[in-house]
Amino acid sequence: MDLTFTPAEEEFRAELRSWLGAHIPQEWTHPGFWESLEDSESFRLRRDWERDKADAGFAGIQWPVEYGGRGGTPGMKAIYDEETVRAQAPRTVNPLGLTFLAPTVMAIGTDAQKKEIIGPLLRNEVVWCQGFSEPGAGSDLAALSTKGVRDGDDFVVNGQKVWTTNAVHGDKIFTMVRTEAGSEKHRGISMLLIDMDQPGVTARPLRQMSGASEFGEVFFDDARVPAADCLGEIGDGWRTAMLLLSFERGASGISQYTEFRRQYDEIAAVARRLGRADDPVIRDDLARVLTELECLRLHSMHVLTQVEQGRDLGFEASMTKLQWSEAFQDLWEVYDRILGEDATLDALPDGTDLRPLHAQAMWSRSVTIWGGSSQVQRNVTAERVLGLPR
Amino acid sequence: MFFALTSDQQEFGAAVRDYLAERFDLAAVRTVVENPSDDGNPASLWRAAGEQGWTAVTVDEEHDGLGLGLVEAQVIARALGAGVAPGPWRGTVLAADAIRLAGSDEQKAAWLPKLAAGEAVGAFTTRGSAATGLPVVEYGALADVVVAPAEDGLPGLALITGATASPVGSYDGTTRLASLDGGTAEALPGTTVELQKQLTDRATVLVAADLVGIAREALTRTVAYDRERTQFGVPVGSFQALKHALADLHVGVTMAEHAALYAAHAVDTGLDGAELAVAVAKAKSSDVALQATAAMIQFHGGIGYTWEHEAHFFYKRAKRLAGQYGDVAVSRERIASLTIGA
Repeated sequence: MDLTFTPAEEEFRAELRSWLGAHIPQEWTHPGFWESLEDSESFRLRRDWERDKADAGFAGIQWPVEYGGRGGTPGMKAIYDEETVRAQAPRTVNPLGLTFLAPTVMAIGTDAQKKEIIGPLLRNEVVWCQGFSEPGAGSDLAALSTKGVRDGDDFVVNGQKVWTTNAVHGDKIFTMVRTEAGSEKHRGISMLLIDMDQPGVTARPLRQMSGASEFGEVFFDDARVPAADCLGEIGDGWRTAMLLLSFERGASGISQYTEFRRQYDEIAAVARRLGRADDPVIRDDLARVLTELECLRLHSMHVLTQVEQGRDLGFEASMTKLQWSEAFQDLWEVYDRILGEDATLDALPDGTDLRPLHAQAMWSRSVTIWGGSSQVQRNVTAERVLGLPR
Repeated sequence: MFFALTSDQQEFGAAVRDYLAERFDLAAVRTVVENPSDDGNPASLWRAAGEQGWTAVTVDEEHDGLGLGLVEAQVIARALGAGVAPGPWRGTVLAADAIRLAGSDEQKAAWLPKLAAGEAVGAFTTRGSAATGLPVVEYGALADVVVAPAEDGLPGLALITGATASPVGSYDGTTRLASLDGGTAEALPGTTVELQKQLTDRATVLVAADLVGIAREALTRTVAYDRERTQFGVPVGSFQALKHALADLHVGVTMAEHAALYAAHAVDTGLDGAELAVAVAKAKSSDVALQATAAMIQFHGGIGYTWEHEAHFFYKRAKRLAGQYGDVAVSRERIASLTIGA
């Protein structure tokens, strides 16, 4: 048992912490600051900040140096995740590109794809969307119906994607397209990298229950994409997608814990201010959530250990998703119980603005759906980890 | 970062599990459960505990122990829980811990080598006191030496020998309980309030680890059964109602394993937040062991409710241990007071 990081990793932490301290304006950390901005303004600030961060050498922490990354250890990536959350740095504008696309391109991309995609991703010059979900295919990804028909060196794409994060701001989309007419389920699908700034691609914001429009829908009407922009083999997109999704695991649990723990402390402070911290039911509720959050922290140390040892976590990633998403949702349920009949008000009678907290509470309803719903994760855990029959 | 058991530690647990599987399986546990009037400490099992170092684990090498930590002890506790094994192992280890940490040189020399070898049986309790009597002591009737509070409500621990034991009945047949009165009490001179807390924490972690072992084994046996058992022409394990419950249990048990391991490490190394870690481990392991053992009965169907099936060994042991050193509610109140204040 050794819960410490190496001296080099701690040195990295100090360097990062000092940079973050100097480059995150105080006002950014005020509750509700980001919610108070226009969507496009918030996007611009975050994008600029990330470019500066990349210029300072704090992007691609674990990416190989040959791709412009820092060549750091899994421990450094965990420290990066933890410290950026602790400093209340803005969330990345390019989560899907950075987490999923970049490592997949490094693993199976062509030389041209590596050259074209990775550097701009590192500096967040190109923002990527993920085009997996469709109105008729959410958790059942293999039921997708967007079609690509070969026409010379191009595919001509028709169909619709939905719940696409950053749809309106995205520059490119990595998307699952059925490229073999009449194929079924997992077969005959390709992963195409499509330029969104072209005739035939339309993106529309989708307003969520929180009021924000982080998601959108994307329509393809005879959109053209060169066949050379297929990631992995043509028709073998399912395998590419599975590889891509496997990069979700890793040490992000530590940053989630840091974020959720801060929210727990905020919620506990609200309970104290409202005189609810003495209520034994509320205390039991809060302690139950804290127990699950502490378990999340320990589980992320376990995951980091496995990653550092080079072990493949495989389907155990479903357990991580279940643990954090259910605990996070429970945290905000408890928050509602603390507020009682005032839970839905914009502000408390004493003037406390509740809207930034509501944004989190609403967001918590989504986390057990996207990225594989809790029900899907339970099936995966039961069948792939416990070996129960299908 | 290395948050995991080392291969040596894993082997320690595997050796205990292997021994139980080969030499003291559930049929052997049943003979203990069904003969409540015997002492509940089968000689072969206790001999193995001494010979294989289970009782010597935390005793320092100077006194013929292995000089290992609470992390290793919780590995053994987890394996014993998985086997619902009877015997005074935990009390013996905890009594030795108290003597090692707070005893005089004479007390150490008199007791530690014997406890380490399993030649003497120890017991530990935080209920009652040497002055007023001890209402419930695990293996109190067998114990050669008992560590308990010296006086009600006051700091201080006593070593008690020669007490009069009366059996205390329990539906958990995998253990034996007794109340103790009288005997000779001598102070453990090195006791401090801090140390007394630490000993309670050690006891709590070992109980949590036993619960984690119970929960994992209950889940594993249930999954194995539900893979095979057919109803409506298909294995019952293919039904989503079962799958989802078992998946949630798997996540819960895994989290409890992390929590017990971390708590042991935190106590061993005096980490900041050790107190919280212990409370988290106890809350989570109690909760999940009660759920897993109840599910074991439910998901075996009618057979799981019978005396012939072993599910009740797990369920009843979980019930008793879940209440020890603070049940779920008490542990959570401790967590609340540590994180949101009194």
